[in-house]
Amino acid sequence: MVETGIPRLDEFLGDGIPAGKSMVYFNHPGVEGDVFGMQTLHHNLSKDISCVFITSSSNPTLTKDQFTEFGWSIQKFEDKLTIVDAYSSLVGDLSNEKYVVSDPENIENMNEIIIQVMKDVPKKSVIMVGSLSTIMDLCGEEKTLEAIKLWNKMAILYDHVIIYNFTAWPYSESTIKVIKDEIFNSVISVGGIAERVIFGQYFGVLKADWADHKAQSMLFRVLRPGGIKIYIPKILVTGPFDAGKSTFVHSLSTRAISVDRLGTTIALDHGHIDHKGFSADIFGTPGQERFDPIIKMISGEAMGIFLIVDSTAPKDFVRAKQMLEITKGYGLPYVIIANKQDIPGAMSVDNIRSQFNIPEDVPIIPAIATEKKGVFEAFELLVEKITGGT
Amino acid sequence: MDGYFLGLDKLDENIKGIRAGSNIMLLGPPMSGKETIINNIVYNGLKEGEAAVIVTTREPGENVLQWFEYNNLEIPLEHIGIVDCVTKTLGVPTADTVNIKRASSPVDLTGIGVKISQFLEDFWMKKNIRKTRLCINSLSTMLMYSNIQTVFRFLHVFTGRVKAAGAIGIYLVEDGMHDDQAIATLKQLFDGVIEVKQEEDDHFIRVVGMGQKPSPWYEYTIDGADLVLIGGD
Repeated sequence: MVETGIPRLDEFLGDGIPAGKSMVYFNHPGVEGDVFGMQTLHHNLSKDISCVFITSSSNPTLTKDQFTEFGWSIQKFEDKLTIVDAYSSLVGDLSNEKYVVSDPENIENMNEIIIQVMKDVPKKSVIMVGSLSTIMDLCGEEKTLEAIKLWNKMAILYDHVIIYNFTAWPYSESTIKVIKDEIFNSVISVGGIAERVIFGQYFGVLKADWADHKAQSMLFRVLRPGGIKIYIPKILVTGPFDAGKSTFVHSLSTRAISVDRLGTTIALDHGHIDHKGFSADIFGTPGQERFDPIIKMISGEAMGIFLIVDSTAPKDFVRAKQMLEITKGYGLPYVIIANKQDIPGAMSVDNIRSQFNIPEDVPIIPAIATEKKGVFEAFELLVEKITGGT
Repeated sequence: MDGYFLGLDKLDENIKGIRAGSNIMLLGPPMSGKETIINNIVYNGLKEGEAAVIVTTREPGENVLQWFEYNNLEIPLEHIGIVDCVTKTLGVPTADTVNIKRASSPVDLTGIGVKISQFLEDFWMKKNIRKTRLCINSLSTMLMYSNIQTVFRFLHVFTGRVKAAGAIGIYLVEDGMHDDQAIATLKQLFDGVIEVKQEEDDHFIRVVGMGQKPSPWYEYTIDGADLVLIGGD
């Protein structure tokens, strides 16, 4: 299996893409879809897999430079990377690459070079078509669709995996239908959430003929450096007074800020975390009852909840359950953090579970927030529950 | 009105403003001062607290900013975003800046589109600016690298985005560089045209399609950065 290197996507695809299969990143205009292809290519190069990149909208030097924006140095993999230059001739530049399409507006010429490179590189290579839409713009829709069929057959013949970046400009309905439904083994939709402007980006599997894929979309952000990260816009951290919520937010976050007075949170804590391919904004509520109206305001549109309890203060557990109700947390994925495990008299996870009377599938994580112990484990677990991971 | 003014006094008085969401072609012969016209339109928006996204296909992004500096026009840099389609094609290794994002080339319509969207999002979501002028300088250069259908598809998407964002779009086209059919094809996407013509040494400007009838032709002169309208003929 060839992995895409995109967080969660390989799981959705049943561990990756089998040899001989084709996949298209179907990118809506204005959305950073090209990064998907680049991340997949870099991921496979770093796994010592031979890769081919067909560039048709910028010259090979610029193409390589684009990877460095994301912190990916592909220069060190040059013996594994073959570039097909289908751009330089278009603007009258000379090319230093071995494989050059001398007339990028001629699909026959494009076919000749691409087929040759697919024969020459080792079997089970990853072939990346950098911009299928540019080829389609230059060579025409029908001719390009016929060429794709040929390239996909070559992939089957040589056990390659072939992946295309495609920007879904308003081509003819029939072309879009062929691309979405017929010509590729797998289609990954990369889209934007737009109202007045595009304010969020998502991806999801539209089709994967080898896997019982999950029809689920993931929000993502593109970090420089870093690449594609799954984005969770709001995770709530709640719990009784003095349970350690602010400490938890600060321990978990790459950067955080609290609105507090005399050492206790009176409005909210906010933190941002980037961890193992996931990016999230975390909002901590105050714990005192007089702030309950604020908690309701902060809780809206949360995707998951950390409920922090002081393991040495069972008298507060009733309040903790009440806070879960205030935040409507019962309908959302949540994880209980049994904090202050380093203090003598701290209750065990089993004891807390029996006192709380909650289902077995609700995780309770022992933690010492002041020492960052248990906080990342809890984050990974909650993210898995939110994103439907395995 | 909840619209825009070009900042060109007599023209604005005649057309009484431009509706938010409008897309306008700026069509005129080479060497007629279209860049000064477009820069004036940008500057007049910036003065009113609006934002501007400029796609430059003919000169590096830094040069666009220098024009304002050279002419002693103060601009709020946090309100301006430039999509530079030139610098990378020159082989100069230059990083993006806060104001300038660089596309690979004028062929890279996908990259250009992403960068326009990022600036629009930044102005609307993060900076809370509700009025933006998108200027593409120029469609003629794009048409040298891509065919008319390709540019049409690109514009179809982004004229739609301008409408959705309540922005205005100004798209510069060189008169005489394209056949009539190409111009007619592109015009389908626009709500109006700012026309520029030259008669001997004199230049004239008018707006078509933004009112019940075309505005009169106004003679104009360019004095440094200033565009001075002289009168209707």
